[in-house]
Amino acid sequence: MRIICLIKFIPDVENFIYDYEKNVLVRENVRMVLNPDDASAVAYALKIKDKNPETYIEVVTMAPQGVMLQLEDLLRLNVDKATLISDKLYIGSDSYITSMILGKYLSGINFDCILTGTHALDGDTSHVPAQIAEILHIAQMSNIVKIEEQSFGCDSAVIEVDAEKVFVKYKVVLPAILSLQKESKYKLPFIKYKDIDLYVRNRIEIIDNEVLGYEQHEVGIRGSLTQVFSTFAKKMDKKDKLVVKNDEEGINTVFSFLKSKGYV
Amino acid sequence: MKKSLIYLEPNNYQNSVDLLEVARQMYADDAYETYAVSFASCCREAEGLFDYLIEVLDQQIQNFDIINTTNVLEELQQVYQFDSILIPATHIGRMLAPRMAMRLHVGLVADVTAIKHTNGVLEMVRPAFSGKIMAGIVNRGRIPVMMSIRQNVFTYQLGESKNSLRIEYHPKPAEKSKIELLSISEKEKTNDIRDSEVLVSGGGGTMRYFRRLKLLADEMNSQVSASRRIVDSGIASRSIQVGQSGKTVAPRLYIALGIYGSLQHIEGLKNVESIISVNTNKHAPICSLSDIVVEGDAEEFIEKLVDKIKREKRICHENDG
Ligand SMILES: Cc1cc2nc3c(=O)[nH]c(=O)nc-3n(C[C@H](O)[C@H](O)[C@H](O)COP(=O)(O)OP(=O)(O)OC[C@H]3O[C@@H](n4cnc5c(N)ncnc54)[C@H](O)[C@@H]3O)c2cc1C
Ligand SMILES: Nc1ncnc2c1ncn2[C@@H]1O[C@H](COP(=O)(O)O)[C@@H](O)[C@H]1O
Repeated sequence: MRIICLIKFIPDVENFIYDYEKNVLVRENVRMVLNPDDASAVAYALKIKDKNPETYIEVVTMAPQGVMLQLEDLLRLNVDKATLISDKLYIGSDSYITSMILGKYLSGINFDCILTGTHALDGDTSHVPAQIAEILHIAQMSNIVKIEEQSFGCDSAVIEVDAEKVFVKYKVVLPAILSLQKESKYKLPFIKYKDIDLYVRNRIEIIDNEVLGYEQHEVGIRGSLTQVFSTFAKKMDKKDKLVVKNDEEGINTVFSFLKSKGYV
Repeated sequence: MKKSLIYLEPNNYQNSVDLLEVARQMYADDAYETYAVSFASCCREAEGLFDYLIEVLDQQIQNFDIINTTNVLEELQQVYQFDSILIPATHIGRMLAPRMAMRLHVGLVADVTAIKHTNGVLEMVRPAFSGKIMAGIVNRGRIPVMMSIRQNVFTYQLGESKNSLRIEYHPKPAEKSKIELLSISEKEKTNDIRDSEVLVSGGGGTMRYFRRLKLLADEMNSQVSASRRIVDSGIASRSIQVGQSGKTVAPRLYIALGIYGSLQHIEGLKNVESIISVNTNKHAPICSLSDIVVEGDAEEFIEKLVDKIKREKRICHENDG
């Protein structure tokens, strides 16, 4: 079985740098970490490969070249191949363009299933998996907390989904895009001691625009259909508080507030 | 005349209807018409509020079958040429919106929490970086404008009642669904205060009647938490303590009853969307972090609010029956 994992490296959110002048995220020189949901996706694929050694796992990411070291570590965990889609032209692409670029690469290769995260901590749009599924005309499901291992075959999979108020079990026809969330508790193993310095560079393929062949104006900031126009810090702390009393008016104010937010 | 289509999500009709407020803010003084689309028979909540109610008549299409719902929305777009499509950011809506945007080759803004107009440009505001910053996103000219909208943020205040026109829409035959529903199971209730969307929390001011907090918590389907003062007095167990030496919680709503709001307590509150505090002293530090401060006795507050909620639920029930 061939599994593709779509993974994204995100700036360590606790210490990110944002260029408020240009309204872009400074991705170079920031420590990048694997998005937690995506780590669950890779962890699940590795679990399957543990049981069925003939499983082939390819991780695919669109990112700056700086993520090479992180990709190497995944390869040392028994991932077979890493594909890094990287080109200066792609910088600043919105979710639509990112999906289009990844979709073009994926349309040209074979797979039985694509695993992804549900959302990424930086952009947190959850757009990419659904949009790529549209490009490939296959099914997609988000918020997956479990994929039944014995069901995970070549033509379908049984999955369990956290659908807000309830859990729902579905059977999905493969190939499909299955998007896990970190609450699935699939965790990446540690690299085995003997593999710590394993040479793996030869298993990383870099794909740039020479290969994918987009025009300059079709991708990156220029090609994007949405654009960050302004950013501002969220006002926390002091609020324009409303002071009321325990009388009818006060209780009504509280009640209307609760109702408007859907708490009662 | 602008046309706005709103997707009614069967799992949360009220919230879908509230997206009318987004349309209102987008078009402000322009003339506009609102269309609701639903894949079940149209909900009562939408009646009289939209100009048009489109009922898609195909029993086969289920809301999780996103390929087919996208197919239908695409057909509708061809027929009606909407200027905007608004989708609630529910579990289902967050899968539908991106697929639809890709199908129509338009941009999409996720999880919108506010609408701004800056020099005639429509800015869709959304949180980024786990809510650390807010970003105003603009659309590069393509129509329809599409967004998914954070749940329970917008509230539509009833305008004049409309004569909603029903449209029965028969879509092209559906494709065979690639997804089949096997079963639905209720979520087990956990007793972890970190999992509760709402916390009813008590401090020193509730010492004598702390157990009564549960009455309010039950009405709101939420849990009770406490400050260290209560825990140290042996009234509640450490497992429900909020703060530096207790748990860090991130409920959407924190109701602080008789809590002073010392630094060590506030330390335990992360990304809380709203705070309501009840305190005999309206200058207690917790009050300056609150959306609403009720100046008064917390025990009396519990009694009155529980009463009010019960009464409203009863009225609602009678109207349904
Ligand atoms: C190292 C360290 C760690 C700590 N960790 C924590 C922690 O994890 N969590 C924590 O909570 N605290 C912690 N504390 C303790 C903290 O400093 C405060 O002492 C504690 O939070 C105070 O609790 P309180 O606000 O409930 O009570 P109080 O300080 O007694 O405040 C009671 C409040 O209730 C109001 N009130 C009184 N009567 C009524 C009434 N009838 N109706 C309405 N309001 C009324 C009063 O005006 C007052 O504002 C820690 C302290 C230290 C030194
Ligand atoms: N640049 C990217 N490269 C590879 N996969 C991505 C990329 N961006 C997003 N994804 C995948 O899409 C998921 C959702 O991301 P997002 O749409 O950014 O919230 C992630 O968890 C990844 O699995």
